Amino acid sequence: VRLCRCRCRALLSRSAGVLRALRGLAAGPEMHFGFQTVTEAERREKIYQVFESVAKKYDVMNDSMTLGIHRVWKDILMHKMNPSPGTLLLDVAGGTGDVAFRFINYVRSVRERQLQRKLKHHQNLSWQEIFDSYQKDKFNSLGDSQVVVCDINREMLKVGKQKAQHLGYCEGLSWVLGNAEELPFDDDKFDVYTIAFGIRNVTRIDLALQEAYRVLKPGGRFLCLEFSHVSNPLLSRLYDLYSFQVIPVLGEVIAGDWKSYQYLVESIRRFPPQEELKAMIEDAGFFRVDYENLNFGIVAIHSGFKL
Amino acid sequence: VRCQHYPPLRALQASAVLRRVSDEHKKEPLTSSSQQHFDSHPADHQPEQEPQGPRPSYTGQGGQESEDYESEEQLQHRILTAALEFVPEHGWTAEAIAEGAKTLGLSVAAAGMFHSDGSELILHFVSECNTKLSELLEKEQKLVQLGEAEKKPIDEFLRDAVETRLRMLIPYIEKWPQALSVLLLPRNIPSSLSLLTSMIDDIWHYAGDQSTDFNWYTRRAVLTGIYNTTELVMMQDSSPDFEDTWRFLENRVADAMNMSNTASQVQSTGEAVVQGLMGAAVTVSNAETSRAMR
Repeated sequence: VRLCRCRCRALLSRSAGVLRALRGLAAGPEMHFGFQTVTEAERREKIYQVFESVAKKYDVMNDSMTLGIHRVWKDILMHKMNPSPGTLLLDVAGGTGDVAFRFINYVRSVRERQLQRKLKHHQNLSWQEIFDSYQKDKFNSLGDSQVVVCDINREMLKVGKQKAQHLGYCEGLSWVLGNAEELPFDDDKFDVYTIAFGIRNVTRIDLALQEAYRVLKPGGRFLCLEFSHVSNPLLSRLYDLYSFQVIPVLGEVIAGDWKSYQYLVESIRRFPPQEELKAMIEDAGFFRVDYENLNFGIVAIHSGFKL
Repeated sequence: VRCQHYPPLRALQASAVLRRVSDEHKKEPLTSSSQQHFDSHPADHQPEQEPQGPRPSYTGQGGQESEDYESEEQLQHRILTAALEFVPEHGWTAEAIAEGAKTLGLSVAAAGMFHSDGSELILHFVSECNTKLSELLEKEQKLVQLGEAEKKPIDEFLRDAVETRLRMLIPYIEKWPQALSVLLLPRNIPSSLSLLTSMIDDIWHYAGDQSTDFNWYTRRAVLTGIYNTTELVMMQDSSPDFEDTWRFLENRVADAMNMSNTASQVQSTGEAVVQGLMGAAVTVSNAETSRAMR
C-alpha cells in the first residue's frame, strides 16, 4: 500500500511539475517536501502550514509518537552541552521551548552547587560577610545565563510562551521570530547554538549552518539533535513499519492531521545521513565535528566547534 | 586517544581562533588597531572581544604568508595551560577549563571539547611537570659535565629528583587527591601509567643507570614504589614545608640502598657458605679415604 501511494504521489507531482513549468512560474529550484517534489518557495510555505496546524498538539504528539523517549533525547543533549553559568544559548527552531527550559533547569542546579561550594570555603568569614554574599548571589540564580528561543513560526512561539508562563519560567528567556537561514542577530554573539528536530525542516541547510557559524563566538559550540539513519537492517525495518503505519494514524487520531505527520515521517527519510551531515557541518567551517547515535541511529547528535 | 581529523585544506580555510604558529614566537605586544591583513573573518571584531585574534605580522604586506595555522591540538594545549590557574578554585573540572578558555578570549562552550571529568587537564598537567623535571635534570647533568658542579651520589640524586617533582604539586595540593582518583579510572590508566613509567625512566637515566640486565626492572619498580608512597604521604602531610614528607623520602631511599647492599651481601654470604660446605665435604672424604688406606 505504501509503495503504491508513493508512486501515485510521484506521478501526480511530476504532472504538476510539468504544468508549473508550462505556466512559466519560476519559483525556485526543485526541492523535496517529504516524498513530493516542490519548489523552494512552496516548500517553505508548506512547512510553515504544517507547523501552524500542529503547534497546539505538538508536545502531545511528540510524547505519543516517541513514547516519551524524546524527553530522554533532549536530556542527553543538555548533558552533552554541560553548560556552565554565564552561557548564552541560542535555540533555533526551538518553538515550544523544550530545550530552553531544560537549559534553565540545568544551569540553575549547577549554579546552586557552585554557591554551595563557595560557602563551604567561606568557613572563616564573619556572619556579616556571609550575609552579604547571600544577598549578592540570591538574585543571580542563573549566573547570568540566558537563552534565546528563535523560531520561524508564530504559532509555535505562542505555544512556547504560554508554556513558559504556565511552568513558571520568567528570567533568562527571550522569544524571537526569525528564519534559521537568515538570523536576526549580530556576529559572534552566542556561546552555544542548538537546533533540535528543526534542521530537517530548513530549506537550505547550508545557509543555516553558515548562519550558525556566523552568530557563534570563537570557541562556541554547534549542537544539532535530529532524526537520522538507522544502519541495523532489522531495526530499520521495524522502524519503517512503525513510522509509516503507526505515526500518521496517531496524527489523525490525536491531532486530526494525517498529512502533517505523513510529511514528518517522509522528511526524516529524506534527510541526509550522519556522515553526510557531518561533512556539511565541516564545510560551514566547524572543527572537531563529531556525532553520537542515540537508539541505534534513530536520532543523532552532531557537535562542532567554531575554532 | 581519539585520532584528530586533519583535512589538508583546512589549514588554509578561514579560522576564527587558530593562530598562526609564527605568532607564538613574536613577543611584541598586540596593537589593537591591528592590520587585519589576512581574510580570516568577514565580520569585524571589536578589539576587546577577541584579544588573541589575528595579530599583525611584521614580516610582509598583504596576507599571503605560507605559515601554517596552529593545529587544534596546540589550541587545546593552550586552553589547558590557561585552565591550570583556575584549578585551586574550581578543582580539576570542566569549569576550570571553561574559565581557562575565557581568558584566551574563547567562549566557555569550548570546554565541551574535553571530557567533563577533567581527565585531559590532569594528564596535561602531569605531562607538563614531567617535561619540566626532564629539563631540570638535563641542565644539572650539563653542569656536571662542564665540571661546574659535583656529581651527586645516587641516593642524594634520587632524593632531589623526587622532591623536585613532588614540589610541583604544591600549588594544587588541595585538589590533588581528586586528580589521583581520576587518574585511576580505567579509561585513564594507560595514559597515566605510561606518563609515570617514562618519568621514572628519565630519573634513572639521568642518575646514570646503564644496566641492561634484570636490574633495570628492579630499579624502576623500586623507584616507582618510593615515588607513589611519598606522594600519598604528601597528601596528608601538614608539617611546615612538608618536612615530614622529605624525611619519609630520605628514609625510603636509604632503605632501598640498604636493600641492594643486603642483597649483594646475602649473595656473597651464600657463596661463602656453599664454598665452606664443599670444603668440608672434600675434607671429610679425604679423611675417609686416608683412614681406609691405613
